[in-house]
Amino acid sequence: MSEVVIENLTKKFGNTIVLDHVNLTIKPREFFVLLGPSGSGKTTLLRLIAGLEDITEGSIYIDGEKVNEKPPKDRDVAMVFQNYALYPHLTVFDNIAMPLKVRGLSKDKIVQSVKEISIRLHIEELLQKKPRQLSGGQQQRVALARALVRNPKIFLLDEPLSNLDAKLRIEARTFLKSLQKELGVTTIFVTHDQSEAMSMATKIAVLNKGVIKQVADPYELYMKPQDMFTAGFVGSPAMNMIPGKVIREDSKWKFKSDDLKLELEGMAFDRESDVILGIRPEHIVIDNSGGIEGKILLVEPLGSVTYLDVVVGNTHLTVQYTGLVRLDAGMSVKLNFAADKMLFYDKATEKLINS
Amino acid sequence: MKKLNIVLLIILLIFSLFSLFPIYWTVITALKVNSEIFTTTPVFFPTKITFSNFYTPGQTFGAVSQTAFGSLPWLINSTVIALLSSLIGTFLIGAPAAYALTHYLKNVWFGRTVLLMMMIPEAALIIPFYVIIIRVNLINTWWGLTLVYLSFTAPLSTWLLMGFFGDLPRSVEEAASIDGLSAYRIFYRIALPMVMPGIIVSIILNFINAWNEFLYALVLTYTPFPSGAQTVPIFLTDFIVIEKSFAWGGLAAAGVIVIIPSIVIGIYAQKYLVRGWTMGAVKE
Repeated sequence: MSEVVIENLTKKFGNTIVLDHVNLTIKPREFFVLLGPSGSGKTTLLRLIAGLEDITEGSIYIDGEKVNEKPPKDRDVAMVFQNYALYPHLTVFDNIAMPLKVRGLSKDKIVQSVKEISIRLHIEELLQKKPRQLSGGQQQRVALARALVRNPKIFLLDEPLSNLDAKLRIEARTFLKSLQKELGVTTIFVTHDQSEAMSMATKIAVLNKGVIKQVADPYELYMKPQDMFTAGFVGSPAMNMIPGKVIREDSKWKFKSDDLKLELEGMAFDRESDVILGIRPEHIVIDNSGGIEGKILLVEPLGSVTYLDVVVGNTHLTVQYTGLVRLDAGMSVKLNFAADKMLFYDKATEKLINS
Repeated sequence: MKKLNIVLLIILLIFSLFSLFPIYWTVITALKVNSEIFTTTPVFFPTKITFSNFYTPGQTFGAVSQTAFGSLPWLINSTVIALLSSLIGTFLIGAPAAYALTHYLKNVWFGRTVLLMMMIPEAALIIPFYVIIIRVNLINTWWGLTLVYLSFTAPLSTWLLMGFFGDLPRSVEEAASIDGLSAYRIFYRIALPMVMPGIIVSIILNFINAWNEFLYALVLTYTPFPSGAQTVPIFLTDFIVIEKSFAWGGLAAAGVIVIIPSIVIGIYAQKYLVRGWTMGAVKE
């Protein structure tokens, strides 16, 4: 139940700036996800919190105490690595017991703690095995057990699910989320997978090129991405981005692009400008009673939803239809844009205009 | 593909024959009776087998009056010195140096210069070593020869283990530091056990090098156990450096005894040697 505060943190490797004046507050009990593409600096940030890298500039506080100069072993954080980093020459029991042995706990206490955590993580059968005899999912659980056995202040996870196969990954998400809730340990989780972030986090920080783009809960991040990078990165399939203009016509605000003209009822803008309209696939509704006419190019039926690639003039739109529908390529459909779900980004600054 | 395999097989066969024949020759000579050793046409398959070359009561060769069976005092010296210089070179010098060079000193070139120490020929060092060992009063002792042998065992271990430590996945050691281990504990409880194949290769190569060493032993020791530290390669010379007869049978018998440890270790260590040389070639 600890708090992490990151102040003006900058990290350089040589002349390359990996993190650029990052400010973050991670509250107690939060499941905090650092989300970003590869090279965004998210793993470096996690390693800085763990103490595995030296800080170039700025400070990190854990529970109000500045830890810039503290070695990892004194920070009382635990970490699960992407490749699990188990000790290959030790048994599962000894792997999990290592952090306790180092702290000089009595043998009985160690055996008891290891037993408890291994029952909780369903690995009590594996205690006498060596890491190489385990499957990926089992190795991951051992790594989790080793991290959690000593009740760390902060629990750090560096893409721990990326080496699991798809089915196991979904299971592990649910499992991790409920485990974190149960233990109440402040957790920082690094991932490049936006669906992983959305499904697990209580709060998400989006990073790109060493800069924090937005910090928000999953709902807000999805509904109100503050800039175009976040808008494009979060959500699958990606948000439709249509370049055009906001104009004032007949005392009404309208959006106009090469192929589209939309009336923007109930919206107000400061001035006419070049914008990018962002709208998610599920916020374009097919309603053949009226709307913009488009032609279906592709149909992707997934069962619970169907994705359609619809072309209007030269503009390609991804449209989501809830449920399974018999539509074929070549058919015409009429599209309606959900007015309250439209997001407008300034073309120059790429920031959200209508907040 | 098949053709290539056959060609390869033939090359390997020739190579094996080339390196195994001297061993075969030594072994059969050791087991031959004298009349079959001294023939103008070489006898490749002895008709009579005898163990008299190893031990014949009353028979002596050379200045030290021994048959192969009497090599024990030299064997003791060789074993002790080879073990000491191999283990100290690996554990006390090589492994810590290699770990520090790969983990703390980022300049790889400095680490590689340890190999230079092995490129200096023994003959160039023998006089300085002799003077030093005399001055520190370690002439003809286990420790004297061990110290000198460390001049080649320690650099080899360092160089060899640098490759192993350098290939360790860093995340395991990072995990250990987060788990609360000090730098020293990470070295001996995590990193060292993980490079065990390398450690074994290092011990074996050092042992064989020290076991076979001749020149330093010749100059720095002069009596066998228990009065001195003379090693078994010097013992072998007693079979040829005599005036009247060249005791080929006894020499071959003693040779067999000297070779045995190397062969036994070699066979046992084969899998580690192969694993050792290929480690790091494949990314996991």
